[in-house]
Amino acid sequence: MSEIAKDLHTEHMVINMGPSHPVTHGTVKFLVTLDGETIEDLKVEIGYLHRGFEKMCESGTWYQVFPYTDRLNYVSPLINNVGYALAVEKLIGIDVPERCKYVRVIACELSRIADHMTNVAAGGLELGAFTAFLYFVEARELVWDLIEMLCGARVTTNYVRIGGLKNDLPDGFKQKTLEVFKRCRVLWSDVNKLLTKNRVFIDRVRDVGTMPAEEAIAYGFTGPCLRACGVPYDVRKANPYLVYDRMDFEVPIGETGDNFDKYLVRMEEINQSMRIVEQALEQLPGGPINVDMPYYRWQSKDDIYNRIDSLIFHFKTVIEGIKPPPGEVYLAVESGNGELGFYLVSDGSGKPYKCRVRPPCFPLTAAMPRMMKGRLIADIVPTFDMINMIGGECDR
Amino acid sequence: MVADLIESVAKIVFIFSINLGFFAPILGWVERKQSAVMQDRIGANRANIGKFTIIGLFHPIADAVKVLTKEDFVPAGANKFFHTLAPFICLVPAIATFSVIPFGGQYELFGHHVNLVIADLDVGILFVFALTSLATFGVVLAGWSSRSNWSLLGGLRASAQMLSYEVAMGLAIIGIIMVFGTLKLSEIGAMQENFLHWGIFIQPLGFILFFTCAVAENKRVPFDVPEAESELVAGYFTEYSGLKFVMFWMSEFLEIVTISGILTTLFLGAWHIPFVTDAMLLSFFQFAGPNGATILAMLVNIATFFAKVIFFIWLQMTIRWTLPRFRYDQVMRLCWKMILPLSLINISITGLVLLLWIK
Amino acid sequence: MTQFDGKGSQVTVGVPAGRLKPKRVRRNLDLTLWEKLYVFEIIRGMYVTTKHFALNMLGFVLPPRGKKRSVFTVYYPDEKVVLPPAYRGRPVLVMRPDGTERCVACGLCETACPGHAISIVGAERENGERYPLSYVLDMTRCVYCGFCEEVCPKEAIVMSSEYQGLAETDRSRMRYSKEQLLRSEESVKGRIEYIRRIYSKCNY
Repeated sequence: MSEIAKDLHTEHMVINMGPSHPVTHGTVKFLVTLDGETIEDLKVEIGYLHRGFEKMCESGTWYQVFPYTDRLNYVSPLINNVGYALAVEKLIGIDVPERCKYVRVIACELSRIADHMTNVAAGGLELGAFTAFLYFVEARELVWDLIEMLCGARVTTNYVRIGGLKNDLPDGFKQKTLEVFKRCRVLWSDVNKLLTKNRVFIDRVRDVGTMPAEEAIAYGFTGPCLRACGVPYDVRKANPYLVYDRMDFEVPIGETGDNFDKYLVRMEEINQSMRIVEQALEQLPGGPINVDMPYYRWQSKDDIYNRIDSLIFHFKTVIEGIKPPPGEVYLAVESGNGELGFYLVSDGSGKPYKCRVRPPCFPLTAAMPRMMKGRLIADIVPTFDMINMIGGECDR
Repeated sequence: MVADLIESVAKIVFIFSINLGFFAPILGWVERKQSAVMQDRIGANRANIGKFTIIGLFHPIADAVKVLTKEDFVPAGANKFFHTLAPFICLVPAIATFSVIPFGGQYELFGHHVNLVIADLDVGILFVFALTSLATFGVVLAGWSSRSNWSLLGGLRASAQMLSYEVAMGLAIIGIIMVFGTLKLSEIGAMQENFLHWGIFIQPLGFILFFTCAVAENKRVPFDVPEAESELVAGYFTEYSGLKFVMFWMSEFLEIVTISGILTTLFLGAWHIPFVTDAMLLSFFQFAGPNGATILAMLVNIATFFAKVIFFIWLQMTIRWTLPRFRYDQVMRLCWKMILPLSLINISITGLVLLLWIK
Repeated sequence: MTQFDGKGSQVTVGVPAGRLKPKRVRRNLDLTLWEKLYVFEIIRGMYVTTKHFALNMLGFVLPPRGKKRSVFTVYYPDEKVVLPPAYRGRPVLVMRPDGTERCVACGLCETACPGHAISIVGAERENGERYPLSYVLDMTRCVYCGFCEEVCPKEAIVMSSEYQGLAETDRSRMRYSKEQLLRSEESVKGRIEYIRRIYSKCNY
């Protein structure tokens, strides 16, 4: 065979997968060199969704960053909100009230459920299992309804504030949540039945996109992808923020880090997140949700309407912006994809001097060539889906 | 002579109208609607005349108008002749295959012998295979002539897949041919008058194997690797639009009908109702006179046949919306390492049983 | 605690297993015979989808109580979803009963707007009261964040629940003037009450 092939003039086929291709949800381009159907070389070209997030943050006040953070990982915006707010609060050195912490946990976990559901569903869709996709999209829709009830928007939430929240939990939220979770669990088990034991699905995802744990750490993997490799690292456990240390939940881990592990880890995390939300709703204390610090949190409308000093102060904080002390801070939260870090530098003025985001899916995307070389072109589909690259977060 | 001509024309018109006029447009609607209800949606229902939407049944008409008015696009540098020829090569066999499938039995009507199959060939089942392998050319030509990398990959995948499954399909069906001892589809149908003699009870393994191969031959999920939309955009018909695209689309739906027809004929008792023989049916319709009874029995048989066809269509659609798709190498592995040995085993067992017990 | 000995340096990741409670999700690697034969799992999958199909068809014929059908979809133009009170639609200006606007052109919303969608030109009436001579809201820039409503000291701009007619084919038509934005107090009463509630003193 090799004797024949030596004289045969064959060329590798170079194809552009993307930026507009069904598999590249979020705009990204793969420059794939194919030998038949085998991938000889793969280059990932990112940056199609670059909007200058970090530079934009420097031109607005500390508050005006919140709507931008919604658009980082647009599938789980609330986690981005919370992450940024926590970073600024750490910079200032304030502690939010108990109730606020619980509500933030609830918001985070709802977002995580939506994120994982979207991811697993899209994975099913791209492998052709359209029905599993729509079952999870229905479940996600219900979760988004909850988020809409909470924040007033489904995706562009803009819910969290420095030192508090935009509003408290609405009436009847707990009951609605429990109803929604009941339906979500039914749909979860349906998807589980359709995919988890189906050999067609297992054959597609198992032993594809494997990553040894050492290499995964070297690449900078975090989140479900790292846990799928068997490394029990979860920011919520390793460095508990908010009230995660009071919650009883398990961290699912896989073994080989292939796509099947990533899928199973995500499926299990949906369950764990539902558990966390239920616990948080159970333990939810009363009390205020905002800190009473006029320097940092915009004041209550009651004060603004009725007291002249509050009104003057309100004008000052809105126009000049709140002024955290000079310094720098890094704070990471566990987002849907992994460790979402905010590195903030303040020079004591009303605007961030620097706002850098550590996107969890950037290292994952960088490992695509490593995971894909020598595999078939069809393997790009589940692998790229399971690393869950979100353009808004990766390119910023 | 004239009666024969009238009979033939009537049968051809009937099959043409039911395939092209009923199944091809309706299946598009069924696929959308069935998948929608299965997936907790409502499905297409916006096309309307005045205030009437009749659960979206106007959509096939709207689609027809849409594709007829679309630009017929040929990519720059494509081979125009083959690019145009390919969809025809796909569509013609899909239509022609149904000519050998019997949709009813044989009747004596007004002193004339009526055989409800357009062409009652002695090699009926071989004719089906011959025609379906023709469709491979259409797919490969479409992939090659489009001058697009995605189309080419799709065409290559299609050629490999369809040729392999052609082999497996042929072997899967040998068992049933051995049992019935004929290649003539109308005879195979007639032999299944007894409910327990249906092919599915005689050859359960053969049924599953043939069904799998038939779905693979038609390139539908889970075997739709040549057109896998998340990998190859749309595979071999990426560069097609307008009427030519619809030809591929229609040939796919017609093949669903054809496959269902073959499955019904071979495995599900053709036009027979379980536990009802032709004589019973005739005696039941005694009140309408001899010719009237024959006509009524004929209609019942045709209706039974198409009911079974619709059942198989429903089954194929349910499978299509339930499963993920295979990877290309897994499709080939399934064919050569599982279906082929299994069908050989099936043939051996069938042969042994025939030799030792029946003879 | 997971430790990796990679080329002389010690890498330590994670927290003690006792605190972490890791849960292995991987099933045994070998497929059972049941799973290896595609057919049975396929039939189980088809059972799930067919169950949904049957229940939804039943829901079309005999709708569950209080609903039109059991499927989740809402026929958008014919039916509309019930929006929660928190919903943020198009920002509108509130009009007093005498037809003038509540806005006093203080410019806070203009400053707080992250998209710079609002531009105000203030002026003074005969009686010394300030009012916006022009109030332009550029809806091509608005991101519906609700900051304008949150900072307004006069309850003059609120996020209404209007979500229709937000898209236009021409950008120039998306620059709304004061007259187009004014809504009567009655029509946005619910939202004003909602704002008073969520920003009331008890939450601070």
